Parts: sequence; C-alpha cells; structure tokens
Amino acid sequence: MKPLLQMTDLHGGYGDANILHGVNLHVAPAEIVVIVGPNGAGKSTAMKAIFGLLKIRGGSVTVGGVDITGWEPNRIVEAGVCYVPQVDNVFREMTVHENLEMGAFLRSGDLSAAYDRVYGLFPDLKERRKALAGNLSGGQRQMVAMGRALMLEPKILLLDEPTAGLSPKYMEQIFQISRDVRDTGVAILLVEQHAKQALAFADRGYVLASGCNRHEGTGADLLADRDVADMFLGG
Amino acid sequence: MGALEIINFYLVPGLVVGSIYALGAVGITLVFAILRYAHLAHGDLATLGAFLGLGLVTALGISPYLALTAVMALTAVVAVGIDRVFYDYLRERPKIVTVMASLGIALMVRAIVQMVWGVDSQTYTRGIVRPENWFGIRVRDRELITIVAMIVLVVALQLFLQRSKWGKAMRAMSDNPDLALLSGVDNGKVVTITWVIVGGLCAAAGLFLGLNFELKAMMGWSMLLPMFAAAILGGVGRVEGAVLGGLIVGVAEEMSTLFLPTEYKAATAFAILLLMLLVRPTGLLRGKVL
Ligand SMILES: Nc1ncnc2c1ncn2[C@@H]1O[C@H](COP(=O)(O)OP(=O)(O)O)[C@@H](O)[C@H]1O
Ligand SMILES: [Mg+2]
Repeated sequence: MKPLLQMTDLHGGYGDANILHGVNLHVAPAEIVVIVGPNGAGKSTAMKAIFGLLKIRGGSVTVGGVDITGWEPNRIVEAGVCYVPQVDNVFREMTVHENLEMGAFLRSGDLSAAYDRVYGLFPDLKERRKALAGNLSGGQRQMVAMGRALMLEPKILLLDEPTAGLSPKYMEQIFQISRDVRDTGVAILLVEQHAKQALAFADRGYVLASGCNRHEGTGADLLADRDVADMFLGG
Repeated sequence: MGALEIINFYLVPGLVVGSIYALGAVGITLVFAILRYAHLAHGDLATLGAFLGLGLVTALGISPYLALTAVMALTAVVAVGIDRVFYDYLRERPKIVTVMASLGIALMVRAIVQMVWGVDSQTYTRGIVRPENWFGIRVRDRELITIVAMIVLVVALQLFLQRSKWGKAMRAMSDNPDLALLSGVDNGKVVTITWVIVGGLCAAAGLFLGLNFELKAMMGWSMLLPMFAAAILGGVGRVEGAVLGGLIVGVAEEMSTLFLPTEYKAATAFAILLLMLLVRPTGLLRGKVL
C-alpha cells in the first residue's frame, strides 16, 4: 500500500551535532508501527524531525505524497499529523476539557462529535473533565495527551513512549485504546521502551540504534530475531 | 487614631494607588507569562497613555473618563508597533537582550513625552475636589471610579482568558508553548493580542494615575518597581494574583507612613519584593518560578 508517512534518508540533530544518520521509515494508512531501540538511540529525535523541531540536514518527510520537510508545526498539524511528545504533553493549568479544546484549535464548527469520540475512548476523562490536567495521575495525563491529539481527527498519530512510567494495567489500556483508534482508520507511529509488548502488539516495527536503522520487519519477525533479542529483549 | 482615620487616610488612598498598580501588574504578569521577559518600558508606556489622555482632554474638551477607551486603543497600537519594530526582531536572541531593549524603549518613550508635552507637571482638571462622605468614610468620585474601573477591566480580561478561543490560546502559550505550537496555535497572533491587552492596561494605569495625582514625565517610571513587586507578590502569570499584589503593595506603602518617615514609602515595595523572593518565590498564588 502507498505509505501515508514516509521518512527518507533523514539526517539531522540539535545545533551542530548530528543525531540521525540517515533514518528511513514509513507508515501505511491505519497501520500501527513501533520504533524500539536503546536509550539515546534517537527515537524521540526521529519523531521531532517529522515536526521540524530540530535542524534537518538532509532527506525528506512526506505525508500522503506531499513533502512537508521544514514546514511550520501548525501547517503539519493541518496536514493531518498529530504528535504527543514524551514529556510535557498536557497543558497543566488547563482543565481536561480545555486541553481537548486546544487540540481542536484549528477546527471550527460543531465539535460535539469529536468530544463524544474522545470521551468514548477515555471514559475516565469524561468524569474528570473539569479537573486541571496537572492534578491527574500519570496514566490519566497520558490519556489527556492522546485525547488532545485525537481532537483534530488526524490521519496519523505520533506517540512518544505513551506508557513510560505507567503501571501494567494502564499500559494494557493505552495499547487497547491505540488499537481502537487504529480501527477508526488512524495510523499510529509510536516509540516504546517496553519492546517485547510493543512488538507483539504492533503491525510492524523498526529497531533504531545510534541514529540509524538497525532492523525492520513485522512485530513477530523482530521478536524472533536473535540479534534483536540480544539487544534488549533481555536474552 | 480611630478606625475611621485609618480607613480615610491610609486604606482608601492605598486601595486607589493599589488599583493603579494592579492595572500595571496584570500587564507585567502577562508579558512575563507569555513572552517570558521583564518589560521595563511598562511604566513609561503608562506615562504615554496618561499624556495621550491629556492631549484628547485639551483638544476635544472632553472629560478624562470619556477619553479612557480611546487612550487605551491608541496605546495598544503603540505597544503593538513597538513589539513589531523592536521586540519581535530580537525574538530568537537571549531574553536579556529584549529586557535591555525595553529599557531603551522606556527612555525613548519618556523623551518623546517630554518633547511633546514639556517637563512641567500638569493636571486633567483644575480645582480641588472635596471627597463625598459615605457613613464617615470619605472617598472622592475619581477614587471610586479608579477602583471600579480596575475591577471592570480585570473581570473583562478574565472572561476573555477563560471563555474565548484566543484567550485560551494565550493561557496555553503561557502554560506550555511547545505544545501550543503543536496544537496549531499561531504564536505571532497570540503575541499581538497580548500587546493589545497590555498596552490598553498600561494606558488605563497611566490615566488613573494622572487623574488622582498629576501628570509628569517620570510618573510611570516611578511606579515600575511597585508594579513589578505586585506581579511577583501575586505569582507570575496569575492575573488575580497581580490584582491582589497591587492592592497589597498600595496599602502597605500608605500604611508604612504610620511607622516610617514618608521618604521610605517607595522602599516598601522593594522590601515586599525581596521578602517574597526569599520566602515564597512562586508568589502568593503559585505562579511560575522565575
Ligand atoms: N534537546 C536536545 N538537545 C541536544 N541533544 C539532545 C536533545 N534531545 C536529545 N538529545 C540527544 O540526542 C540523542 C538522542 O536522544 P533521543 O532521541 O531523545 O533518544 P531516545 O528517544 O531514543 O531515547 C541523545 O544522545 C541525546 O542526548
Ligand atoms: Mg525518547
């Protein structure tokens, strides 16, 4: 299938230092793709590169065939890409509902269907819609962050370690919600520390190390790979 | 001294000057929270507003109250202009550069005021106004109007910040600028709206200062410290905090003359500022840490 998102031979980093040395990846419509790799491999950096949040020195990013390299973040959002950063991913001093409202900032008209959809995916949030996001538990905050990104009804959702620091119960819940979101036709690209569980749940995966592609394949293939297992599946 | 004397000679004047500080401090706190620098031209922008008011009052023969909205609009335009020409140009540089630039703007605005309106003290109206007596509490109309106008302006601002789309965008930009950009908020537009509001509030502060005291070129500059003290006291980024801080600093300044020679009045704000930074740097209402 024609890829929805394609990153081709991407080079770039922060300031003068290069972190990414030619990363290639693609995501098809309604596909769940996971990026795994050791700490500091450049996984978050690869996601930020899609949004032009670092200096890109070579390569390109396309969405639906349109080259979006170097675009302003608000235009990329309009192109249907929504991003949940690894940290600081909610407006702490705003209520849960206001966080969702900010997610829909670029939309006008009746948003009730979008709220219903997000509150349907995250019933916990509906109960706490008037609470300040900064006062929620880590798991609920992650749900606010995902909910905010979903309000724009993106074509692809980027999630950077959505389960970091969460209990297994929340992790399972986040994975389940990701599947539900995918079933509504949204593609998901996520970075995960919990490599074993993530590879088991994703359609395809990439292993990144030192800013380069190391392995790629279906989740099952990567789980079966000796080299990948030695790297971080804990032998 | 009885309670009525304390109210009439210290509390009422303190609340009046505190309301003026509050109007300035709200602007300072917004600039801190959204643009992330200390705006040192804040006082002189208030001076400009006061003198623009004088211009309208003398040219059209209208009362200063009628001139208020026009003066707020004019000063808002000036503030947006200053941002476009100077501050926006320095956006990518370290914030201290902008702070220094705002000091330069302060001197420039003051020089323009002196060139146009001269260096002598002036007033909007002549003659002595006797205070009205409300059950023993003596308040002049202009004092009452100052306090009420401050409350109306702050309530309107709060409604805007809490209810409107762009008000929420301003709060989002203050809360988490990166996430606001990732949500599609146009930073430039938020900056412009911020300066419209801040310019308008500056003008109101200047006009009410001129109305209750007199107009002179240094009037705004000399209330810069109390305004900053009020903003920090209330908690940076907190509009309600800035109001509370302004009223506290104003009343504390007046009350200080009960115990200290009047020359030390101006030092009160400084003492409050230092004490607050030592004891509770987040301010009374938990603002951002500077
Ligand atoms: N904002 C930044 N400025 C400079 N270097 C950074 C920044 N963020 C990350 N790095 C560096 O980039 C490398 C990759 O980081 P990152 O992409 O966050 O790794 P991962 O998400 O795979 O753990 C690391 O060496 C890290 O120190
Ligand atoms: Mg990371």
